[in-house]
Parts: sequence; structure tokens; C-alpha cells
Amino acid sequence: MDITFTNVSYIYQRNTPFAHQAIKDLNFHIPSGSFVAIVGHTGSGKSTLLQHLNGLVTPSEGEVKIGEYKLTPKEKPTNLKELRSRVGVVFQYPEHQLFEETVAKDIAFGPENFGVPKETINERIKRVIPAVGLSEDMLERSPFDLSGGQMRRVAIAGVLAINPDVLVLDEPTAGLDPRGQKEIMEMFNTMHKEQGLTTILVTHSMEDALKYADHVIILNKGTKYMEGSPEEVFTQKDALKQVQLDVPEVIQLLNAFEDKFSISIPFHGQTVQEIAETIHSIVKDGVSNE
Amino acid sequence: MNNSLIIGQYVPGNSLIHRLDPRTKITVIFFFVFIVFFANNVVSYSILTLFAIACIVTSRVPIRFIAKGLTPVWFLIIFTFILHLIVTKEGTVLLEILGFKIYSGGVIQGFAISMRFFLLILVTSLLTLTTTPIEITDAIEEMLHPLKKLKFPVHELALMMSISLRFIPTLMQETEKISKAQASRGVDFKTGPIKERIKAIVPLLIPLFISAFKRAEELAMAMEARGYQGGEGRTKLRELKIEKRDMLIFVLFVFVIAGLFYFRSW
Repeated sequence: MDITFTNVSYIYQRNTPFAHQAIKDLNFHIPSGSFVAIVGHTGSGKSTLLQHLNGLVTPSEGEVKIGEYKLTPKEKPTNLKELRSRVGVVFQYPEHQLFEETVAKDIAFGPENFGVPKETINERIKRVIPAVGLSEDMLERSPFDLSGGQMRRVAIAGVLAINPDVLVLDEPTAGLDPRGQKEIMEMFNTMHKEQGLTTILVTHSMEDALKYADHVIILNKGTKYMEGSPEEVFTQKDALKQVQLDVPEVIQLLNAFEDKFSISIPFHGQTVQEIAETIHSIVKDGVSNE
Repeated sequence: MNNSLIIGQYVPGNSLIHRLDPRTKITVIFFFVFIVFFANNVVSYSILTLFAIACIVTSRVPIRFIAKGLTPVWFLIIFTFILHLIVTKEGTVLLEILGFKIYSGGVIQGFAISMRFFLLILVTSLLTLTTTPIEITDAIEEMLHPLKKLKFPVHELALMMSISLRFIPTLMQETEKISKAQASRGVDFKTGPIKERIKAIVPLLIPLFISAFKRAEELAMAMEARGYQGGEGRTKLRELKIEKRDMLIFVLFVFVIAGLFYFRSW
């Protein structure tokens, strides 16, 4: 589903002394099927933006369009539930939302609410359990007996079982060990490709944004600061520094290389391996020239 | 989420009322709550109202905070007034609407009782508006100190109070977070038949309890790790001290009480 924000603003506790503007005049378009990373410092409005995507909040000003659903300050779609069944959100620390007696029941909770028939739910459970890297013998266990990482996977499975067209991820790997982080991100990436999802990833990790996203939006203090392909955005070191964001390590390496050797290697999404080879050939050339 | 209720919402300030010893404030309010029930004529009510207004003015808490805090209780005050209007059958009949006779006694009674209500809430909310929760618990601990001789766990009680006050905002945030997460999994908290809506609370309550228990355990562990062992031999960062201004308020308040009892009709 295409997602369009037009002049969207959001103010918390409007008309009170505690009023606080979280998003200000935001415009962007996310075409269906893309993988978008939303990056920003704490308090830049990322989480508020994300809540617009499935109608948890409606904009104070402007218009949000998600497929055929439209959210404006005055109107909310009457079929909000339908919108939510098509936009799945994995919140920060999603393991906090677990509550059922067994893993299977918790995964089935979402689809049940959306009126998915029982047999379909069972099929979906069978499909999502291996996808998130759990085994089927866990289905009858209590989610509270599992480890933190496993609970996270169960919670993610619960969102995937809704079978959404749009997957919204709010720092899905926060607090996991490095291996778990990588596994989970790889899993989302595979899902994105295989099922043609539209994926929106809110993250602090520039590495993840660079690696998986095909479009990056950088927020600062509730407004859009930069937007473009990861290669375009992440090579602008100074602009990123102004909003206290780091450049991904790969690009840091290229910058450092340029500083030391005065040779610039243009970045177009190479992996560490490829860059190592480029540097290798440059150094070799240098040696043979002498 | 629930910012309409100001009970427990401290408004920082540096006025006379803010700087009073919390024990003074609690004592004065404690007795104020009692003497409100002794007021029974125009003069005695005026004395109390004047005292309350004087406190509010010196506290320099913006009126809109006070008014906002009163919004949820307006209904109760008006309801009391109407109830007395209908039920009390004393004095002369003032007017008759749809077979209901409104008596003059009812108007007076209704007005008096709602006024009491109004004053009570005004003064008690002024306490929480000008005193931090920590000051209040400190004061309560100090005031209950004599009970220690009877083996009453005063320090533990105060600690429980401050911990629970501290975690109210955390719990509110958590509630909002979990209810949003469940809403996006298709739970409908806002519409549908009552039975469904009550059922919808389960996915909210269970995670809330679990995280509260977990947090309690973590807090206990962190306290033990830092050598906490109850109030025994513990020194305080904030020492409560009765100052001149506290004495002044006490004297003033005694005058208010004396005036009230002098002018009330017996």
C-alpha cells in the first residue's frame, strides 16, 4: 500500500499547558513495496509518526493516506480495524504485550480479533513460527517461561500472523544480543522480499538502515531533515553531524581512508569485502608504481 | 492521558505556601476538613472561604490549574446541590416545577453542602499542588513517628507510599503503551458491547501486572545491592524544620477557628 503524508502535524495534549508538538509539517511518500528506514535522534518524532500509520493517533493537521484509508483531523476511517489488519506494528519491546497462557494462543490473538477463521490461523502459526526462528514444541509453553529473546520472537510472530501488507518496525532489535539482532533483521528482510511487503523501519542503527533500506528519511525535532537513498543520505557527513547522527562504519572507513591517503573512493553501496578489495588494489598499484 | 486530575500534580513554585513545612500544611488541612463541618451561617462560611482564597492567592498557583483539577468534581458538587434541592422539605415553597416543590430550606441546605464540598477539595488539592509527594511522605513519616514505640512500621509505610507515588506515572505510560500495542493487534477498547469491552481489558491488565511485579523485584534487588536495610540509622537529605512562617500560619489558623466558632449560630 502506498503511504503519503501531506503537511502532517501532531500536537500532544493540545490546548493544555502541557501541549507539545511532536511532528511539524511533515511531507513524504512511501511507494508500495519499498523498505524505508526512518532515522532520528530520541524525541525526533519517530514514534509519533509510526502511530499515525495504523490510526492509533490522527493528525492534528494535514492528511495521512495509507492505501485507500485516509486520516485527517476530522475524519477517521470507519473501518479502522480493517486498516489495522493490513498494517502490522511491531512496537518497541514488543514482548511486553504478551499475555496469553500459551505461545500459540498469543500468536493467534491478533488474527482472532480480525476474524480470521481458525484453520487459517493454525496454518499461519505453522508458517510464522519457523520464520521467526522458534520451534513448534514451544507452542504449548507459557510465553513467560521463555527467555527475553524468545519472547521477542513470539511477539513478532504475533504481528506477522496478522498477515499485514505493511510492516512497521519500531527498533525491533533493541536490547537483543548482536547475533539475535542480525537474525531478526535478516528475517524481516527475507519476509519483505518474499511477500512483497512495504516495510517501515524505525531505527537508531545506521548500519541497519544502510544495509536493508532502499530509502531513508531523517527526522529532526519533528520535521523532515533529509530524505533519499541510503547512499545519498549517509555520505553527507557534515549534515548528519549537525543532528547528532553518525555515519555508518563503512562510510566512516572511506572517509578516514580519504583523510590519510587523499584518495577518495566513491560510495555506491559496496560491502566491507568489496571496499577491502578496492583498497587492496589501490595499495598494490601504489607499491608497483614506486 | 489523565491530566485532568491534578491530585498529585505538583506545580513548582517558591511562594510562602510552597515553603511551609509540609507538616504544617497537613495539620492545618486536617483541622480545616473538620471545622468545615461546623460552619453553618453566612459569616462562618465567609471566614472559611476567605481563608481558602487567601491560601490560593499566596500560593501563586495559576487559577487554571486549580480550575482544571476541579473539573471532575464539578459534577459531584452540582449533583449534591440538586439532590438537596429535591429532597429537603423545609422552609417556604419558592417555586414548583413539574410537581416538584423547591423549598427555601433546600436551596440553603444545597448551597451549604456543595460549598463544604468545594472548600474541602479546593484546600486538599492545594496541598498536592504546592507540596511534592516526597515532602508529603516525609511529613507523614515524621508525624507518625510516635507510633514507632508501638512497633508500628512507620518507615516502611512511608517508603511504600513514596514508591507507589513514584510509580504512578510509570504505570500510566505503560498502560498507554500496552493499550496501543493491543489496539494494533485488533483489540477494541472504545466501542462494542460492555461485555466485549470488559474482556478487552484482560490483554491490558496481565502485561501491566507482570511488568509491575518484575519492576518491584528489580527495585528490591537494586535497593539491597546498595545496602538498604530499613530506616535504622539512616540520615536524611531533607530535614524538616518548623520555622517562623509555620508558627505564623498556625496562629492565623487559630484565629480562623476562633472566629468560626464565635460567629457560627449555635
